[in-house]
Amino acid sequence: MGEKDQYKNRIELLQGTLDMLILQTLQWGPQHGYGIVQALRLQSGDVLQVETGSLYPALHRLERQSWVQSEWKQSESKQRARYYRITAKGKKQLASDLGRWERIVEAIGSVMYVKPEESES
Amino acid sequence: MKWFPSFGFQRRKRELQEEIDAHLQMAIADRVAQGETAETARQAAAREFGNIPLVQDVTRDMWGQAWLEQLGRDVRYALRQLRKSPGFSITATAMLAVAICANSTVFSWIDGTMLRPIPGARDTGDLVSLQRGERNISPTPPFSYLDYRDLREQNRSFTGLLAYHSDWITLTGGGETPERIYIGNVSANFFDVLGLKPVLGRFFLAEEESRPDAVPSVVLSYSLWKTRYAGDPQIVGKAIEIARHPVTVIGVAPEGFTGAAPGLRDDAWLTLNPLGTNVYRLTHRSGGAVWLIAIGRLRPGVGRDQAAQDLDNLMHHIVAAYPDDHLGDNRISLDPMWRSPFGANGYLAATLPILLAFAAVVLLLTCANVATLTLVRFVSRRRELAIRQSLGANRMQLVRQMVLEGAILSAGAGVMALVLTSWTSKTLAWFFPANAINLNLNGSMDHTVVLGIAASSLLAGMLCSAFPAWRSSNAPAMEVLKAESASVSGGARNRRLLSGLVVAQIALSLPLLLCSGLFLRTLKNLAGADPGFAQDHILTASVGTNIAGYSGNEEQVIRHKILDRVSALPGVKAVSFTDWIPMTLGHKGEDAYPEGYTPRPHEALQVYHAEVSSRYFESLHIPILEGREFTPDDDEKAPRVLIVDQTAARRYWPGQDPLGKKLMVWGRPFTVVGVAKNSTHMFVNESPEPMAYMSFFQLGYETIVQVETEGNPADLAPAVQSAIHEIDTRLPVFDVRPMRESTQMASIFAVIQSTLAGMFALIGLVLAITGIYGVVAYRTQMRTHEIGIRMALGASRADVLRLVLLQGLWLTGIGLALGLAFALGVTRLIARLLYGIGANDPVTVASVVMLLGTMSLLACYFPAHRAMRRNPVTAIREL
Repeated sequence: MGEKDQYKNRIELLQGTLDMLILQTLQWGPQHGYGIVQALRLQSGDVLQVETGSLYPALHRLERQSWVQSEWKQSESKQRARYYRITAKGKKQLASDLGRWERIVEAIGSVMYVKPEESES
Repeated sequence: MKWFPSFGFQRRKRELQEEIDAHLQMAIADRVAQGETAETARQAAAREFGNIPLVQDVTRDMWGQAWLEQLGRDVRYALRQLRKSPGFSITATAMLAVAICANSTVFSWIDGTMLRPIPGARDTGDLVSLQRGERNISPTPPFSYLDYRDLREQNRSFTGLLAYHSDWITLTGGGETPERIYIGNVSANFFDVLGLKPVLGRFFLAEEESRPDAVPSVVLSYSLWKTRYAGDPQIVGKAIEIARHPVTVIGVAPEGFTGAAPGLRDDAWLTLNPLGTNVYRLTHRSGGAVWLIAIGRLRPGVGRDQAAQDLDNLMHHIVAAYPDDHLGDNRISLDPMWRSPFGANGYLAATLPILLAFAAVVLLLTCANVATLTLVRFVSRRRELAIRQSLGANRMQLVRQMVLEGAILSAGAGVMALVLTSWTSKTLAWFFPANAINLNLNGSMDHTVVLGIAASSLLAGMLCSAFPAWRSSNAPAMEVLKAESASVSGGARNRRLLSGLVVAQIALSLPLLLCSGLFLRTLKNLAGADPGFAQDHILTASVGTNIAGYSGNEEQVIRHKILDRVSALPGVKAVSFTDWIPMTLGHKGEDAYPEGYTPRPHEALQVYHAEVSSRYFESLHIPILEGREFTPDDDEKAPRVLIVDQTAARRYWPGQDPLGKKLMVWGRPFTVVGVAKNSTHMFVNESPEPMAYMSFFQLGYETIVQVETEGNPADLAPAVQSAIHEIDTRLPVFDVRPMRESTQMASIFAVIQSTLAGMFALIGLVLAITGIYGVVAYRTQMRTHEIGIRMALGASRADVLRLVLLQGLWLTGIGLALGLAFALGVTRLIARLLYGIGANDPVTVASVVMLLGTMSLLACYFPAHRAMRRNPVTAIREL
């Protein structure tokens, strides 16, 4: 029970961001779960290591919300895998997530980079 | 997930497994490509992936089917909890099962009788039963054929209006002894209006309705066809013999259909004038021609009031056209079939709904009792609940879990009740003597009853677990976990809930006890009441002279022979004839016009009548107050005479001498020659109706021999029967039995209501007493520590006894006070069913309150006594 809750908490923390990252990754074409992990790792320069315990629940949730669709296909290495594809609805969601993310970054940035004198006055 | 296997769920589980496998395979492949060995690659990939079952678990939560799995887990958990306390589980289930069964049994009786007034008929909700004149709980047939035909042809409210007349007759032929069968003389549209299709052959045609036939047609009931004719598939077109007269079978009615009078059985149906002997009844509007009962099927969209208005208008025109045939009250009223006064439903409608209400009170009481047990159980589980709460379960989850335990118990109880009811639903028939009349009443167990059981067990489950669960779920977890058991014995709030539940049980059981007390007293009063005639030394035997195919002259000769033979038997004091036995749920009525009497507006000019011979009054010890009794000379050749009872004399000729006055019946004058003392006609508690006795040898139709015996009348039964058979072996003789057996019919419904009310009250009493005992004992046990301290500080044993008793007394007192207020409100509803006792009879009220009070006091005494005898030292040590 405890261990499972621990995973859930992380999903909670990452929720908005992980969804956005997954949808962004799928922008370049359908991908399977392993592929998404690899893509995120490579593109973040080995910084972002997505846990499978977060990834798969997120993928299944996104599918239930119709932001992605899945189908079974052969990979280049002849491995049968489940490929996720972003839907039109998912693209709209990605745009709004991105907008929100930019506002958050901007807001956090303006807090973090405030000049000390100004904050004191 | 073996609890709720679902194909889609299993498939998705497999796919998830496959998806994860693919993930691992690709990770391994990548690592191998980078030069790792297969083994290290496999291990690293698995490590990197993490806990596979856990990933599957959290992923599955996203599918939205999680609640199903959760429910499965909760059910398993609840079952485990219930298994842990088998005593509680079995007791609670058994109590709920009994209470639900009480409800479903009464409901199955209602379902089998009132809700299914005419088995086999289509949409009985659209059928209405017609009454003419003053409303009566047991009216005589209201219509003449001509009146009926006018109503049928001119009304705009019905898609069909049928008519029937119930009678009985013998099935002869085949050398067998004659068999009595009940028949209906029916209108041609009878089966159509009811919406029935024949199993074999056809029903009647319009032109056959009033036409006499050399060989009349008959429709057999399904059961008669099966039993008497062994289900002969070639029966249609065959000739059989009824009352030694050949008739042709033209059809067989569908299975289960037994006629249009609710609760009464017909075995066969004939047209209205099959032998041409009913010509008078088909061509007149009064005077013996008022013989038909009518049932209509309402047009869609037409209400009962509207239809009554329509018929009332038509009847008004008929009365205006034939005023002499329609003196008195002619208003039409309509009843739905469930309470139709023709047949048994009128009586059942007065009894069964009240019993169902009692049963509902029993269920409530049981729920209160089970709720106390549940609450105590949850209190003892408070540590477990607190731990679950501190581990993150929210209040709703805890409540759901606890209510689920209650729901499982009540579902189990529902299943038990279902099994029990399939048997108890058939026990209604036990109340009716098997050979009395053609009563065909029983409960039925169909989907309505099953639904009722499901609904009541669901309700019970909610009632007995929701309160305790809600209460127990918000105990402050930290406090519970820290504190020792004695100091948190549920807290003040739980104590209040427990007290409330005990008070409710006492308050609910009091009305049950009071009502059953009143019913029992009623039954005793009915049994002890003087019906106005002596019946202990009377034997009656019904001889089918009129239905066995004898001519009128033969019949009279046979009657005289019976008189001679039976009178000669040893032990016989007096023999007389009658064609009616009082207090057997039946009576005969006729329009009667007293000479020189102006009826009040809307007065029903109807008298009860019976045809009796000389020595009838003598053998029943009914005093003749004025004039004379009938003599053997009052025969067909003599002038028509009658004897009226006091009610008739006072109503029609107040302040005058009734002797010599005339009463017009069947268009003929009858001279009053005597006045008999009032006696009971149908029920001891009836309101007296005017009665006219006529001479048996002038008008007697059925032949009932009434023998006054010196000893026990039952002993003479074989001798009387064989004496009659010596005259003619083919004479059908029925119902040879002491009169007291027959008159028991009059109190059958009182017996039903007091038996059931008594059983329910007993259950209520037991529940209330165990309820208060349980709560006081539990609380006393919780206070053991405190009591020990009190005793150590100098409290005497009497003080301890007083402490505990006082607590119980308070609860009892409040319960009794509330219950009394409730009970006195309720008894007004049953006042109509009581006899010889007021609805608030002080003696019954006092004794019921005393009984309940004493029993609860005793229930409190035992725990108090136990507490008093505790050794204070061990009591203090106990926590």
